[in-house]
Amino acid sequence: MAEEQKNVTPASDNLLEVHNLRKCFPLKKTITGKVTRELIAVDDVSFSLKAGETLGIVGESGCGKTTLGRAILKLHQPTSGRIFFEGQDITDYTSSQMREIRKKMQIIFQDPYSSLPPRSTVGGILSEPVEVHNIVPKDQVKEYVLDLMDKCGLRSYYYERYPHEFSGGQRQRICIARALSVNPKLVICDEPVSALDVSIQAQIINLLKRLQQEMDLTYVFISHDLSVVKFISDKIGVMYLGSMVEFGTKEDIFANPLHPYTQALFSAIPYPDPDVKMNRIILSGDIPSPANPPKGCRFHTRCPHAKEICKEVTPEYKDYGNGHCAACHLLNE
Amino acid sequence: MSKTNHLSGKEVRAIAKENKKIIKKLEAYKNRKAPESEYLTEMKDDSNILEIDDLHTYFFTEQGVVKAVNGVSFNIPKHATVGVVGESGCGKSVTSMSVMRLIQGPAGQIYSGSIRFNAKEADGTEKVYDVAKMPMRDIHKIRGNQIAMIFQEPMTSLNPVFTIGQQLDEVTFINNPKATKETAKARSIEMLNLVGIAIPERVYNSFPHELSGGMRQRVMISMALAADPRLIIADEPTTALDVTIQAQILDLLRDLKEKIDGSIMLITHDLGIIAEMADYVVVMYAGRVIEQGTVQEIFHNPMHPYTIGLQKSKPTLDSDSDTLFNIPGNVPNPINMPNYCYFRERCSSCTKKCAGEYPGMIQVSPTHYVACHLYGEEQNNG
Amino acid sequence: MEEQLKNNIPEGTEDTDTPLDQNVRLMSPTRMVVRRFFRSRLSIIGLIMIVGLFLFSFVGPLIYTQWGEIELDESGKTEYATAETTYTVNGVEYTLHQTTEKSLKDNFLAPPSAEHILGTDNEGYDIFVRLMYGGRISLIVSFIAVFLITILGVFMGGIAGFFGGVVDNVIMRVCDVLICLPGIPILLIISTILDASGIDAKYRIYLLMIYLTFISWPGTARLVRGQILSLREQEYMVAAEAMGYSAPRKIFKHLVPNVMPQLIVQMSLSLGSMILYEATLSYLNLGVKAPYAAWGTMINIISTNQDILQNHLNVWVPAGICIVIAVLGFNFVGDGLRDALDPKARR
Repeated sequence: MAEEQKNVTPASDNLLEVHNLRKCFPLKKTITGKVTRELIAVDDVSFSLKAGETLGIVGESGCGKTTLGRAILKLHQPTSGRIFFEGQDITDYTSSQMREIRKKMQIIFQDPYSSLPPRSTVGGILSEPVEVHNIVPKDQVKEYVLDLMDKCGLRSYYYERYPHEFSGGQRQRICIARALSVNPKLVICDEPVSALDVSIQAQIINLLKRLQQEMDLTYVFISHDLSVVKFISDKIGVMYLGSMVEFGTKEDIFANPLHPYTQALFSAIPYPDPDVKMNRIILSGDIPSPANPPKGCRFHTRCPHAKEICKEVTPEYKDYGNGHCAACHLLNE
Repeated sequence: MSKTNHLSGKEVRAIAKENKKIIKKLEAYKNRKAPESEYLTEMKDDSNILEIDDLHTYFFTEQGVVKAVNGVSFNIPKHATVGVVGESGCGKSVTSMSVMRLIQGPAGQIYSGSIRFNAKEADGTEKVYDVAKMPMRDIHKIRGNQIAMIFQEPMTSLNPVFTIGQQLDEVTFINNPKATKETAKARSIEMLNLVGIAIPERVYNSFPHELSGGMRQRVMISMALAADPRLIIADEPTTALDVTIQAQILDLLRDLKEKIDGSIMLITHDLGIIAEMADYVVVMYAGRVIEQGTVQEIFHNPMHPYTIGLQKSKPTLDSDSDTLFNIPGNVPNPINMPNYCYFRERCSSCTKKCAGEYPGMIQVSPTHYVACHLYGEEQNNG
Repeated sequence: MEEQLKNNIPEGTEDTDTPLDQNVRLMSPTRMVVRRFFRSRLSIIGLIMIVGLFLFSFVGPLIYTQWGEIELDESGKTEYATAETTYTVNGVEYTLHQTTEKSLKDNFLAPPSAEHILGTDNEGYDIFVRLMYGGRISLIVSFIAVFLITILGVFMGGIAGFFGGVVDNVIMRVCDVLICLPGIPILLIISTILDASGIDAKYRIYLLMIYLTFISWPGTARLVRGQILSLREQEYMVAAEAMGYSAPRKIFKHLVPNVMPQLIVQMSLSLGSMILYEATLSYLNLGVKAPYAAWGTMINIISTNQDILQNHLNVWVPAGICIVIAVLGFNFVGDGLRDALDPKARR
């Protein structure tokens, strides 16, 4: 299995390629360190992304979308599978090898309150990565940081201030500026707007979109909010309990959602118009625990169309034309 | 703009001194003994269950007085669902906490205003209490049995060391001292059934940690319903839940609306939920009501630039624009608010008049009110 | 209205600073800490105690120069004691007059007077002055010990917490072993060795405190490790990891500064216990040895003479009071600092 995976070669024009990525966390260990029970956070996920594109990843809590984001950055070492960045296989890079790659891939977090160190000034937070990675000569660092702050909509006099003096939206701008300070190519946005107010969400989304054009960025945009994902993404992946159940271009996914989970997810969003009465697909039951996923198709416990085969056999993840992939038995009929 | 934007020691001491004085007075008022006649009052309109009238709830912090609720007035009619919508810090939760008298003292205090609540006594007669003037020792008359609350965090709102059944029975015992163990259990099972729990006996005997978030929220709802309250306050009941679970809970709440004989005050930041659930909408901004009306009026004819902006800044599944509309700037922190429209600096249709004092409520239709200078003139001329 | 707004779509990504979110002026973090500290009466009392002790021990001897630390009061006079004994022998009464001359150079056990504010001890040293010098030793020694403990503790705890795994296991097991060591018996052994090796009495206390450091750092290391374990999960640490910072930078530039509040509290609390340790050692005659003064040594005098314990309270009670003030003071300040720096830890 591992041998086979090593032979995968990336397509030349993809910035990021993920092949059969799997990440397990040990839950129980014997005294000798042998894992007896594990949580499969990400199970066999594959996708590819071209430079300048945005991939949206949607899913509910516990579906492994955050783990996937962090595994791509190798903040979690993947259990198996391959990650190719700019054509290089970075899966087995050591941490010192990764340090060089780090400046090309960055991450923005959900919680703007815990993701900034409380005891540094904004200037300190933003100039540290620039200095560590020698992005510009030492004497130009401040100038560079002020320019970056301006780009992200932060006033220059914020330079001396501390994070606690700012509101959530401004803190998120600081986080974005920090991620962009090293001129990355790929930015993983892990629910960057979920903790923000609606009017601030729109500001941050617009900012991300504008910066993408200006700085030629590629985003992996992780969110549980379908409408936000639809707005910003080119491609969309839908995750459920660790596996990718559907993947495709935005147009394909929204015009023709294949997987019953995607369909339910779409219809679950409350629509802001009192006169539109949605014909809602309401999924019964709860999301199973990822530590103890159901057999067969993981969605069968809640699927309105579940059949006998769904309870036994894990559906294959197949391409249904034009790169629109899904994993569901119903589609094979 | 100076680099340091901090209070000086002198100012801090002055604030602390001032706060101490006011808090002492308000705490004494809260803890006083008073005969019932002192807080009995009359409803302005008998079809309402709750009338909030010029409510001011302040937090006396070391940084200054936070006017979290600054002159809020709205009514909740009988058998209606009123949605209160606004961004974080707009005072929507503080309003609901004021109604329940759950504001955390000594820093948080109801400063002035009245909250008239039409309570139904055990013998069927109606009594109107001014909740804001009730002493804390009498608050049990309305809290829990007349007004119940559903909180945002179903994880922390249930006591982890008791079973669901014990916690549900307790509600029955408090409201009905004559209840026996058997009748209480029967009532609890009935309540669990009502909120769509498939195997109520099993849930009855389980501990909160054995249930999922959606289940716990259902239990919370059943606890709120167990006392048969006249008003249910749901404070962001689905925010902590996943989309598919949220859809279940909303479906349940919509169902219950018809089954129960009470009003719902629904607090949320999500306009979609409001559109689905509410009959009337109150839009709040920085501690004030800026617009209120029926759900049709608010969604089809929003008038305040903030309401309009809020509706446009949320991407929807069928919109196809390239940039999102957004309201610039940040939500203000309600300390030391000046006397002009709080939305002025973020408003794109600001006029000369907006420099003037805070706009009053203008009535647009029998149910539709807006606090904006753009409409004052029309009203005067026409 | 709708039209008007559409034409006016504001440049979305610009963060306009509205006066409304600028008009809020917050308290600076330093001021917040100072305010919270001074809100508690106990911490003010503790601060006064400690500042008082410091002035007393370090500035006192400069002002009150009448007597030195090891300066004997040699103003003792020759005493003549007369005794009369009456005998009756065969009905005749004899009276025996005896005069003894007792020559005393040193004025020992003098009661409090203008010359000796608290009197003198059994050797003839001025107690008041020796209290000051004793305070110097106690404070200096405990500060050095706490400083060393903190450095060692932060280093070891930082490494253990950050790297985890085997490193963590080894360091923590070493801590466990050190915590198991019985402190006082080993001190007795070390003291005997020091006696045998003939080290100057002045310095032996420092050597003993180095030993104390060696057995006390596990407490600090555990605190730092625990804090770092929880801070490591914070998103800003994940961000630092994603930035590709080196491990020393992450530990000492990002983690340790955030442990500082707890560390300062721990330091002020352990100052109190170090003073107690020092006093105990001196009391057992293991630490500072005569003629040099330490609070413990001054109390130790009672063990030489029962009479002093009962009749000369001025000899040993002041030293006891000083120890109590110092320990209480540091504990009060420590508690006050905990409330001020780490409000979440309260109650």
